[in-house]
Amino acid sequence: MNGGGEMNDKGQNTPVLVIGAGIAGIEASLLLANSGRKVYLVEKTSYTGGNVIKFEEVFPNMDCATCMIAPKQQELLANENIELLTLSEVEAVQGSVGDFSVKVRKKASYVDSENCIGCDACFDPCPVEVDNEFEERLSKRKAIYIPCAGALPNVPAIDTENCLRFKGQECQACQEACIFEAIDYTQQDEELELKVGAIIVATGFKSFDPSKITRYGYKKLDNVYSAMEVERICASNGPTQGQILTKSGEPPKSVAIIHCVGREEKGYCSSVCCMASLKLSHFFKHKLPEVKITQFYSELCIPGKAYQKFYEEVRESGVDFIRATVTEVSQSGKELAIKYKTEDGKENTLNADMVILNPALEPGADSSKLAETLGIPQSEDGFFSEKAPDLTPVATAQEGIFIAGCAQGPKDVAETVAEAEAAAGRILALSR
Amino acid sequence: MEEGFTPKIVGFLCNWCSYAGADLAGAAKLEIPSSLSVIRVMCSGRVDPVLVATALLHGADGVLIAGCHPGDCHYREGNYYARRRFALLKKTLETLGLDSDRLMLAWVSASEGQRFGEVTNEFAEQIKEMGPNPMKKKSAL
Amino acid sequence: MAKKIGVYVCECGANIAEKVDIDKVIAAVSPLKDVEVTERHKLLCSEGGKEFLKQSIEEHGLTHVVVAACSPKQHELTFMNVCGQAGLNPQLFQLANIREQCAWVTPDGEEATDKAIRQIRAAISRVLYHAPLEKKEVEVSPDVLVIGGGIAGIKASQLLAAPDRKVYLVEKTSSLGGKVKNFSKLFTNMESGLDLIAQELQSLVENENIEVLTDSEVEQILGFLGNFEVKVVKKVEDKELNFNVGAVILATGFELFDPKGLPQYGYGKLDNIYTSLEFEEMNIPDGPTGGKILLKNGKPPESVAIIHCVGRKEKDYCSKVCCLYSLKFDRMLKSQLPAVKVSHLYSDLCIPGKSFQKFYEDTRKMEIEFVRSSRTEVTGNGKGTTIKYETETGSKGDLAADMVILIPAMESSSDAQKFAEMLNIPQDERGFLAEEHQLLGPVASAVEGVFVIGCAQGPQSISESIVQAEAAAGKILSALVPGRKLELEVRTSEISENFCLGCKICIDVCPYGAITFDEMRRISVVNEVLCHGCGSCAAACPSGAAKLRHSTFPQIYQELKEVLR
Repeated sequence: MNGGGEMNDKGQNTPVLVIGAGIAGIEASLLLANSGRKVYLVEKTSYTGGNVIKFEEVFPNMDCATCMIAPKQQELLANENIELLTLSEVEAVQGSVGDFSVKVRKKASYVDSENCIGCDACFDPCPVEVDNEFEERLSKRKAIYIPCAGALPNVPAIDTENCLRFKGQECQACQEACIFEAIDYTQQDEELELKVGAIIVATGFKSFDPSKITRYGYKKLDNVYSAMEVERICASNGPTQGQILTKSGEPPKSVAIIHCVGREEKGYCSSVCCMASLKLSHFFKHKLPEVKITQFYSELCIPGKAYQKFYEEVRESGVDFIRATVTEVSQSGKELAIKYKTEDGKENTLNADMVILNPALEPGADSSKLAETLGIPQSEDGFFSEKAPDLTPVATAQEGIFIAGCAQGPKDVAETVAEAEAAAGRILALSR
Repeated sequence: MEEGFTPKIVGFLCNWCSYAGADLAGAAKLEIPSSLSVIRVMCSGRVDPVLVATALLHGADGVLIAGCHPGDCHYREGNYYARRRFALLKKTLETLGLDSDRLMLAWVSASEGQRFGEVTNEFAEQIKEMGPNPMKKKSAL
Repeated sequence: MAKKIGVYVCECGANIAEKVDIDKVIAAVSPLKDVEVTERHKLLCSEGGKEFLKQSIEEHGLTHVVVAACSPKQHELTFMNVCGQAGLNPQLFQLANIREQCAWVTPDGEEATDKAIRQIRAAISRVLYHAPLEKKEVEVSPDVLVIGGGIAGIKASQLLAAPDRKVYLVEKTSSLGGKVKNFSKLFTNMESGLDLIAQELQSLVENENIEVLTDSEVEQILGFLGNFEVKVVKKVEDKELNFNVGAVILATGFELFDPKGLPQYGYGKLDNIYTSLEFEEMNIPDGPTGGKILLKNGKPPESVAIIHCVGRKEKDYCSKVCCLYSLKFDRMLKSQLPAVKVSHLYSDLCIPGKSFQKFYEDTRKMEIEFVRSSRTEVTGNGKGTTIKYETETGSKGDLAADMVILIPAMESSSDAQKFAEMLNIPQDERGFLAEEHQLLGPVASAVEGVFVIGCAQGPQSISESIVQAEAAAGKILSALVPGRKLELEVRTSEISENFCLGCKICIDVCPYGAITFDEMRRISVVNEVLCHGCGSCAAACPSGAAKLRHSTFPQIYQELKEVLR
């Protein structure tokens, strides 16, 4: 990346690039756009809302996540200063604060968003069925798809990796079904050149893959789930419409929630999992009042003024808490046997119908590639680094490039939104 | 239950949650009773008891008020007021000699298309069982 | 003026047309009174459709427009814009939802058609009662008042101040820097808080757009977003300062829970028991002990016990940063007294975040003892103290300590209450200033234009306080742009002077404090800057004086009348 430019006025009133349309990206974009700045919001998937829209409820007040985020998404889509580029990724960045040149590759969706009215008529006829990543592979989608009901923008995209036509076969099923002429196979990927004055990286997180730790039996045993899968199971617009069922089709009578999956491997505490475990317990108890829930944890991390009360409520509702390390999850007849060791060294086993693993939060995929493209450092764990840790959480070593939300480190929604607003604030104040 | 009785149900749906939930029910192509006529308001807290009374006096066989779940109100507390008014309204309707089951309050979130379908269909069934609003014959409006 | 309504029925391709008999619909609504033209179109939201609509409105000189199509949540704005472009006030428009809530959910075509007709008739009747609301703007001050000169207040001031935006930074004591100026070391970089503050103050003093008012107190704040009237008293000179600002930031910081109320810790009774802030003071280079960690007898301690969560049960929350700064204390102790024995009595280790576990692990390498205790008691033993503890499994133990450092809960500073009352900001059950929305509005407050940042709103680290300061600055920089007027929500409430009884019920129910009472006229008045248009007042008003524009009783009544026909 080049440094310095002759007339670098730090970019007052220049457009801003926001990478990632999760809650951090959305909030930062709105703040910038409402001040009058133009925003390019680049999102690699076809939808906005990131991880938060996958949750049915969010802690500590059990707000309905979609109800909370939908007005923001709608505001985003209606805001004339924000250009949302879905299926897009940043390929190259040159220049410096006030004067960045950004190359963005916008993948074709093969759906004309002007003509498409979001009626979903193209889904049925599509002969291809694949796992739906948004639904944590718990249900299927077609090769032309939107990730879930209510996804915004409500415009489908063709997954060219699985679409028969794009693999060389004759198939026009979706185009034939569309009466609005919204399906356009001639669409091309685009290379966009954007000139922006500042950049915010808000690429969020993904979950640590629990199958890396074999003792938990993830992906080997039935009814061992990762927390994100359970979030989709709880969702009223999810694969089971919010019904909690084990693989046998029956609701579980007993559930074990295991914290800190991957904590040792990653070397940090992911900040939100204790609260997320409490939230799931609360939801389960609400749907299945008789269910027996046991939480296996090492340290209870419920920081801040709002969380302890919720913990106490969940505790009082009859959820058990065992401070222990889980040494093995194995099949025991129809149930799962959770072998654990408490702090005094004693070993014990608990049986449960369902096991929920709460994994560490990791930086989003491709973050290393993005760090290199932007020329900003990452720490060992892959999160983007702040310029002065402890003092400037949203600023990076590159002037004009900011980070916000879980791209910077695992944190809850409140802190994420504050960082998004802080990054926007620093950009708006840049031209001084 | 009266033969050939097609109830008229008015639904006051709040813009942010329940109306969105109703739209989602539409996107999912669920079956919603055609007897339901929806009036969009910004907040369930906007629903004045006089509006409900007016609806009933004009022949509504059932009135549904739908809003965000407690805690999720887009305007913070509007739905709490809706809840209180609803409770009082129920009592008032009883004293007027009207079956207060003709009034229903439901919380439907923006992602609860299914729930909207369940609530409305159940309510329509209930109203059908109850028969026409006795006020219909009495009022001269 | 003659009313001319244009009714446009969208086929939405086949989505509406295949279920709803549009011919029948048109036949039903064309003859209605005031309907000038009725048209159908394949796809009104398309570019072609919008152009068609615009031309039709202009051609027929329409006064009102009804579109029957998809949900207003999809395209109300789209068609309102078309009306605007066609020279018609966009509020004189109504969208009838005959897709999501009609065609898509009614299997029987005849029923669907009847329902569509009902909804369209309702829209036609209603739209005549729409008022041509005009956009409103108000002048605002871009200046900002920051209350509290700690790290949060300082950072916010720096980010906001500009030649076209003045910042007033008011601090009640004689020096800026809050608590941080007394921290000789900060976690995790172990750099000096004093130096950090000194640096910040340097740039602050040089900034001519920041007026620093130390030894000053805010006496009164009246007004609302964009137009706050502030009165500040400079105590030393006994001078009063009056000025206007557009926004207020509360950064009044924290205090520590007083351990005196918990006799089991021996605070105030036994010697050499310190709170964390007192220990910090001891370490200040030019402080009372010259920065040396000493017991009352002037000797350095040989063993130190750090007791976590003092007051946690009483306050019912975790103060978030204590485990981390206790690790900082370990390093400070070991750095000065390499042989000192340090023991932590704690319940849970709270070290969330990507860098803190490493900080913890590296600190433990310095031979620090961690004892998980569910009940801790400090007793005197003649020489120093004996810390009695009980583990979670019930077994008991004790250890000796020359010095005890208590880690008390962090509370909101006592000033918070004064400002909560002055500005009508709720305090939560724990005494902290409440943010507007715990997740989506972490630095805004229930009162628009007033922000709450740092430990005033909840226990947090320096870096989190800085983020919040920058976030509040971001929100203000976005909303209050110098030279730009504030555009107000159009569909707000209004209260009829004639019908208002002065009962004030509306003031109680308004979630935004947008209604005030005019003592002179004895009526309630809506502040349109603050009104969000929910209609709670309209529903609660016993006399019908309060009306929500664009959701008035007559408008809703027209819809009711038609659907119940």
